[in-house]
Amino acid sequence: MSADPSREFSHRLSLPPFRSTPWQQWLPAQLSCLEQSSIEVDTGDWHLSCRDLQELLDALKAAGHSVQRITSHCQDTLISAAALGVITQRRVVDCSTTDDASAGSDAGNGALTVHQGTLRSGDHIESRGHLLIVGDVNPGGSASADGDVYIWGRLRGRAHAGLSGNRTARIVALQLRPLQLRIADLVARGPEEQPQPGLAEQACILEGAIAIEPACPPFAPQ
Amino acid sequence: MTNSRTILICSGKGGVGKTTLTANLGIALAKQGASTVVLDADFGLRNLDLLLGLENRIVYTAQEVLAETCRLDQALVKHKQEPNLALLPAGNPRMLEWLKPEDMQTIAGMLSDRFDYVLIDCPAGIEDGFKNAVAAAREAIVITTPEVSAVRDADRVIGLLNTHGVTPVQLVLNRVRPKMMANQDMLAVDDVTDILALPLLGLVLEDEQVIVSTNRGEPLTLNGSGTPAAKAYGNIARRLQGEDVALMDPAREGRSGFRAKVRRLMQTKLF
Repeated sequence: MSADPSREFSHRLSLPPFRSTPWQQWLPAQLSCLEQSSIEVDTGDWHLSCRDLQELLDALKAAGHSVQRITSHCQDTLISAAALGVITQRRVVDCSTTDDASAGSDAGNGALTVHQGTLRSGDHIESRGHLLIVGDVNPGGSASADGDVYIWGRLRGRAHAGLSGNRTARIVALQLRPLQLRIADLVARGPEEQPQPGLAEQACILEGAIAIEPACPPFAPQ
Repeated sequence: MTNSRTILICSGKGGVGKTTLTANLGIALAKQGASTVVLDADFGLRNLDLLLGLENRIVYTAQEVLAETCRLDQALVKHKQEPNLALLPAGNPRMLEWLKPEDMQTIAGMLSDRFDYVLIDCPAGIEDGFKNAVAAAREAIVITTPEVSAVRDADRVIGLLNTHGVTPVQLVLNRVRPKMMANQDMLAVDDVTDILALPLLGLVLEDEQVIVSTNRGEPLTLNGSGTPAAKAYGNIARRLQGEDVALMDPAREGRSGFRAKVRRLMQTKLF
């Protein structure tokens, strides 16, 4: 893989969270206790333009530090860093599971598998219990579970609830615009019309067929 | 502190404009003063040399460099008019049988020691050619057209780039037709960025001159032509280097032109 992203630096400067303190006020105090060396800067959730980032780098350089790497989970900051010629590393927000893993392999009925992040085309995630995706399911992506499938985002791909035959399973999404829905052994195409904005909907089996209705209680998985 | 940048230009779908982007971006960066090398990673069907008009000047290729039959300088082909740009030609197709990701990393390492920018023209698809090229890359530019299948393939590629730790990944939207977008016959820019969730590095309008330039082996950015695509490529190069250049708005482009003006005039109520 390119330039050893796993390399750990002895000194890492982590900026405070975006909402707590402006980094310009926070930095001088930190500089006095940091010894001059090569450091890695973790900019956390700050969105830094090229100009902002240059200001930060200049301040560090003036104090005698050289920045070897910038870590962030913000795209904008990574792009600015790359434009200034600094090596970047994307910090992935901690997820409890990774895609395609034997997610919930030991999780029996009722256990919830959580996946943070959008499922892109070609990605597939499966759970033996219930599945919660915090993110979208893009067209071409698919999510399945033996229990219910909850999508805190837009379902634009495929979802399969009740994999092992549970016909009371349901699929709930903040925006249900699927390519295809499956519950247990039944299959349905996604509806043609766009859903009402702001209306969370669920798909469940009613009278032998998959029906879509506004999401309604009980909300806890059965 | 400034490091060399190794950027992979990929798309998933074939024919959306990777090689054209690589050639034009290479020339644009070179013109703006950065020493740039373009590497053709498509060993099966190479055509980066054709687009740059350097086909008949190739003596050694990446294959000989790896086998150490020649030095790197002997294989690099300098562009006649733009001396800041060099090309490392792809090896012959039989290379595909033995080339490993580590080999690509070796080549990219040698190039990044010498040049400010290393642009890697990725082959289409997500198979071995792509896997080899990805191993060598630091950053990536994904190029797509506003078309359902291209966007789907780009989505897949972005997922793979994330898995390989390539960062940052930016997006170029190519072959944009503002009139079709205005009529909703073509996916809107927002539709594309909505699904791909990547920052937009540039928008390139559909431009017939691209075909002419390909056949002649003279990329559009070479002769300072003011064609829309050339301007867009130049802007992409500037944004890549950190300059803040406003993105073109396709809605405004669709409204320019004589016919559009007449249409607007006829729609205005005069009484």
